[in-house]
Amino acid sequence: MEIPYEVTPRRDTGLYNAKLGVWLFLASEVMLFGGLFSAYVFLRVGVQDGVDNPWPWGLNVHKDYVWLGFINTLVLIFSSVGVVFAWVALKERNWRKFQIWMYTVVACAAVFMCIKGVEYNSKLNKHHGIKLIDNSVMEGKIKDKTDQIRFDATEVSFSLQGGIPIFLESIDGDFPTLKLQGGEGEEEVTIESESDFKKWFFDARRQVARDLVDERKRYRGEIADGVESPTPVSVSTSATLVSAEPFKVRGNPRKIVAHTDDAINFRDGTKVTGKLTGDDVIFEIHEVDLQLVLPQNQRDALVWEVIDDEQAKKDFFAEQHRVYEEIKEYYDKKGEIIPEKMLRGHMLNLHYVHLGHGEGHHEDGEHKGDKENGEGHEGDDEVHSSESKPSAKEADLHFSKDHVAITVPRDKIKFMGNHGPRYGNYYALYFTMTALHGLHVVGGALVLLYFVVFGKRIYLKNPEHLANRVEVGGLFWHFVDLIWIFLFPLMYLL
Amino acid sequence: MADTTHDWSHHKKVYTIIGVTLFICTGITLALGLWAPLDVGPPGPTPGDYVIGLALAGVKASLVALIFMHLNHEKGLIYKTLVFTFLFFIGLMALTLFAGFDPIKEQYDTLETTNGKLTESIEQ
Repeated sequence: MEIPYEVTPRRDTGLYNAKLGVWLFLASEVMLFGGLFSAYVFLRVGVQDGVDNPWPWGLNVHKDYVWLGFINTLVLIFSSVGVVFAWVALKERNWRKFQIWMYTVVACAAVFMCIKGVEYNSKLNKHHGIKLIDNSVMEGKIKDKTDQIRFDATEVSFSLQGGIPIFLESIDGDFPTLKLQGGEGEEEVTIESESDFKKWFFDARRQVARDLVDERKRYRGEIADGVESPTPVSVSTSATLVSAEPFKVRGNPRKIVAHTDDAINFRDGTKVTGKLTGDDVIFEIHEVDLQLVLPQNQRDALVWEVIDDEQAKKDFFAEQHRVYEEIKEYYDKKGEIIPEKMLRGHMLNLHYVHLGHGEGHHEDGEHKGDKENGEGHEGDDEVHSSESKPSAKEADLHFSKDHVAITVPRDKIKFMGNHGPRYGNYYALYFTMTALHGLHVVGGALVLLYFVVFGKRIYLKNPEHLANRVEVGGLFWHFVDLIWIFLFPLMYLL
Repeated sequence: MADTTHDWSHHKKVYTIIGVTLFICTGITLALGLWAPLDVGPPGPTPGDYVIGLALAGVKASLVALIFMHLNHEKGLIYKTLVFTFLFFIGLMALTLFAGFDPIKEQYDTLETTNGKLTESIEQ
């Protein structure tokens, strides 16, 4: 069947159909992204510095990765130019040139997505924050997954009615030899591997289900028989496994309801008994953020007790003072008082900290803020050293010697996490908007790739038809570029 | 309709110039963010920085829309569609503005000022 107006324009609209179609689609896309941009404005403008969770500065969030965002912008702009050149090549009936440009555009999309991947990885796996119970915040990196609770377990009890108990995924290292703790005269069960466990677990669960059916049948039978007080239904629905040797368990705190020195209760009701080996968090600290602590309380903030480094504290406040003078000068010139928003914002209250001064720990360029912090460190000839003191419990943990890590007691932590969407409104919007944009990049690239791989047939039949298709695909591609043009300054720089 | 007889070298030149302009504008955007002397108002991102950053993004977006998306010479029907899109978009942004009149916000606003107590403690 011939589809009308693919090449020639309709007389009433003056357009070929696909073009009108894509513009209507783009109009709906404007509303989709418009809603998210509106959310950005709403949340950004609505933030009360020092009261709400602060809105981070794009530059502070991305640090070295600002350059990646910049490169991504250039890549996308270049690909936009590439699409129009591919279209022109078709208009000039130059198939070879069209191919080259189109493949370049698709390659640009691939580069864009790879860079995005690097960025996401850095946020999700390399940057963490810890908010202490007095709302002082430390930014840095949790080492060796110490956000998890380490435990030497000897006994586990769990239900035989639900799914596979969570403790199974929490076993750290080799699977222990577990024995079923049963009543006298029961058959002894030994489990030595995960597959053993699963097999045994499913069998036992089936058995419990069958026993329950039988018991209920008996109970109903007894009632039917007119027994005055029938024996209640009673089936043991839990099991306890014991290990002769203690085995290591690492519990994800989000799956744990509570833990003490000798037991962990998991969310699914599994209870692990044994001995706690460590629940302190080993944290490589990069920045201290006191935006949520009132200036009059900042010197006594809990974070200083946790860091236990006088020099770092002194540097922090020296830097704060320096920035304060800068801001004061600006407002003095205008004859205005400094807005409290400014006093509570990140410019004054978020600074890099260097622990273990003079140890040469931070010389490897990991800390981008060195240059920003430079002035605060002038005249620091008198070196104060405070080496990190991992507790004895942590002796078995290995972490990079290049950075000073501190031990953060778990009972001082209010919240901790990676820089994922849960970390704050900014991060939620960053991931929503950039991921949605990324999906558009992938979708657009696939369509353009289709044109260049399978377009030859149409080209030979009617090159103008393919040119129109590429024009329409290109319109979408430019729109994707256009969205990024706004996302880059909003998410990375401002 | 354009075809092989049309001279496309002029178009290519325009696209190249626009491409280079976009590159330069992106560089300026980055410089505005990273280079302190170009920072408007007090240090850090302030409303002035937002206005400049978004205005520059607006210029770039207009170039893409006008030249690459051929909106500088398009048929009337597309402009009509876009007028409606624009109105709806403005509506979306206005929702944010309306939120400013929301009484929920008032309970926050009382915490905004602490009679200079903050300055005292920083200066000490």
